[in-house]
Amino acid sequence: MNDMSWTPLGPPQPPPQPVPPPMPVAFSGNRKEFFRLVARGAGLELVTLGFYRFWLTTDIRRHLWSNTQIDGDAPEYTGRGKELLIGFLVALAILVPIYLGYFLIGIEAEHLKAFASLPLVAFFYLFGQFAIYRARRYRLTRTVWRGVRFWMSGSGWIYALKASLWGVLVVITLGLALPWREAALERYKMRHSYYGDLQGSFEGRGWEFFKRGWWLWLLMPFALYSTIFAPFAYAAFKAIEWRWWLSGIRFGEVRLESTLRRSALIGLYWKVIGWVVLLGMVFAAYLVLCTFLVASMDGSSIATFFKTEAFAKSIPLIVLLGIGYLAYALAMNVVMRVYLMRDLWVRVLSSTIVHNIEAAANVTARGDLANALGEGFADGLDVGGF
Amino acid sequence: MDSGTSETNSAATPAPGAVFFDGASNRRRAVALKLSDALEIREDGALLARWAFADIRRADSPFGLLRLSCLTAPSLARLEIRDAQLTAELVARCDALEADLPNRRGVAAIVGWSLAAAVSIVLVVLFGVPLAAERLTPLVPDSFERRLGDVAEAQVKVLFNGKPCSNAAGQAAFEKLVGKLRETAGFDNSVQSGVLATAVPNAFALPGGKVFLFDGLLAKAENPDEIAGVLAHELGHLRHRDSMRELIHNGGTSFLIGLLFGDITGSGALIFASRSLVTSSYSRDAETNADTFAIETMHKLGRPAKPMGELMFRVTGKEGGKGLSLVASHPLTEDRLARMDKADAAGPASGQPLLSPAEWQALKSICGSGKGKV
Repeated sequence: MNDMSWTPLGPPQPPPQPVPPPMPVAFSGNRKEFFRLVARGAGLELVTLGFYRFWLTTDIRRHLWSNTQIDGDAPEYTGRGKELLIGFLVALAILVPIYLGYFLIGIEAEHLKAFASLPLVAFFYLFGQFAIYRARRYRLTRTVWRGVRFWMSGSGWIYALKASLWGVLVVITLGLALPWREAALERYKMRHSYYGDLQGSFEGRGWEFFKRGWWLWLLMPFALYSTIFAPFAYAAFKAIEWRWWLSGIRFGEVRLESTLRRSALIGLYWKVIGWVVLLGMVFAAYLVLCTFLVASMDGSSIATFFKTEAFAKSIPLIVLLGIGYLAYALAMNVVMRVYLMRDLWVRVLSSTIVHNIEAAANVTARGDLANALGEGFADGLDVGGF
Repeated sequence: MDSGTSETNSAATPAPGAVFFDGASNRRRAVALKLSDALEIREDGALLARWAFADIRRADSPFGLLRLSCLTAPSLARLEIRDAQLTAELVARCDALEADLPNRRGVAAIVGWSLAAAVSIVLVVLFGVPLAAERLTPLVPDSFERRLGDVAEAQVKVLFNGKPCSNAAGQAAFEKLVGKLRETAGFDNSVQSGVLATAVPNAFALPGGKVFLFDGLLAKAENPDEIAGVLAHELGHLRHRDSMRELIHNGGTSFLIGLLFGDITGSGALIFASRSLVTSSYSRDAETNADTFAIETMHKLGRPAKPMGELMFRVTGKEGGKGLSLVASHPLTEDRLARMDKADAAGPASGQPLLSPAEWQALKSICGSGKGKV
């Protein structure tokens, strides 16, 4: 142990000799195990009328975190479902009066004239951005690697303000400013992120993102016009975004790099679409079957069943459709989580390389835990983002 | 049990023995473990930590690795063991290893509490919300209710694409009819009313004293008493402030049911279905009360209530036997008709007709071209 060659922190040191090889990130998780986790979670979500989602989210993160190996050591997710539940309840206690106020102000605003309610939408956008920042802060402070946690400083409200002003610019420039928005926001987030006493930073430039993806911006009208085209464009955009984002991340002297190809995610999105179509067909077949079944029990022919609109009032049919709809929603949930969380995670990770991990060899623990309020807001307002 | 001492910092290959992180820095320490009455963690012979077996807990780790923490140590201090035999020995000694991890009992508790929460929300929806609507409605100021009505009126006109009809003779007849009903029912002249050129056979009341009749219903009506009954019914809703109460009721119910189902359905069809089940039973009561009001008003005018039921019957047809009435927002038409018939039997209609035949014809053609519709 005494002849180790970690780089001490503090005054700048000459680079260690010899330069250690870049370290790929590995994922050791079992796909079947993840499927079982998600399927069981979906079932429990059904039984608990959705309340289980806090614990399922936690279990998914625990699985993904603890099976990711960086320099041979796996991080640990120390968050718990109960924290998310409390965050949600607190967020609810704050959001409910705001919603009520929104309703009352909305009536007044409508009364005065149409676009008067626009500032209210802006207010909720601001809230959503705040939620995104604070949710990332929660996740980061629950991430532990080698006995030291990540943490985050900074202000969620300043971030929300920045994000909103940049959002206005993106709208004005018809989306052209998007790369610079993402770069500026990520710089703010990463500048306030730490691993122990190692401060993060973001070196991705908006211009680089723009150079890689400008042709997608030109193709956007086609993607919006033709549904066949859209998944390709979206998958390419996401791949470019991931690669650019990962390649810009720094913690002290530690540097990430991603080699994700533009086409890497296209297969994933098409698989999801395939499942959506398949499940949709099964659901449609189930609908037809149920309708015939109920109509035959009713003793009326299909034609009269529809003509008299009796189908809209038949209790057995409504119950059967409700069950089918729930099963469909749950199956969709499982598909989304397996492909767009687990498989996406694995693909992005397998393209990631860590340079100069030695710089993180002797980091002193610092930083406090953040509460889950942001996660609660994100849940209550239905905003995604990271 | 002793770990190899040639452990390097870059641990691409797992070393036998154990690795210790003290929670104060992320330095990997290759350590030797000794299992006596507690777990002793030594680095180069020096004792780093002593963990009592009862305080040791398992932390998340990849397959093939045992990762431990200790209640009395710094919260992020971790001990990692890859050796299978050592793992087995430690697991055998630590009784409370899994105590802090989510387990079956935890899941059962989540399910139990969720169901309890669901039951309490359902109870609030069934009993609490109607009570709240009942108590809150009288507290809502008239001015606010009128503003709500203005917003709703604008929306209804857009929704049904209906323009107000203002054929002069028809308007005069309509105002005469409404005026008679209003005076009899004891309303002041703040009640606003009108006919909208829409083929849908319907009529409704809005908050803040607004009554609207659709041309589609006029086209189906055969005499003034039918229309008068319908208008009296809507005035009944105004008298009981039903739309305000329904607004509070619907708002509360949707909020609570949305809370209940959370994100599982994406607030979709299921919420709508269960909400309509709950609110329709409530609105059936309101309709029955409005019918009572209509019957009383018509009898005060000396006119029968039954024609209104007949008009309803003409619009909906026989309703019984087609599906269950659980989700219907109104009572069955034939039941309403029977009730009005029974009420009329008490005393024959003795009053003057509400409109002359000429006025009735003018009212029927209030929307001009609306006559041929439906």
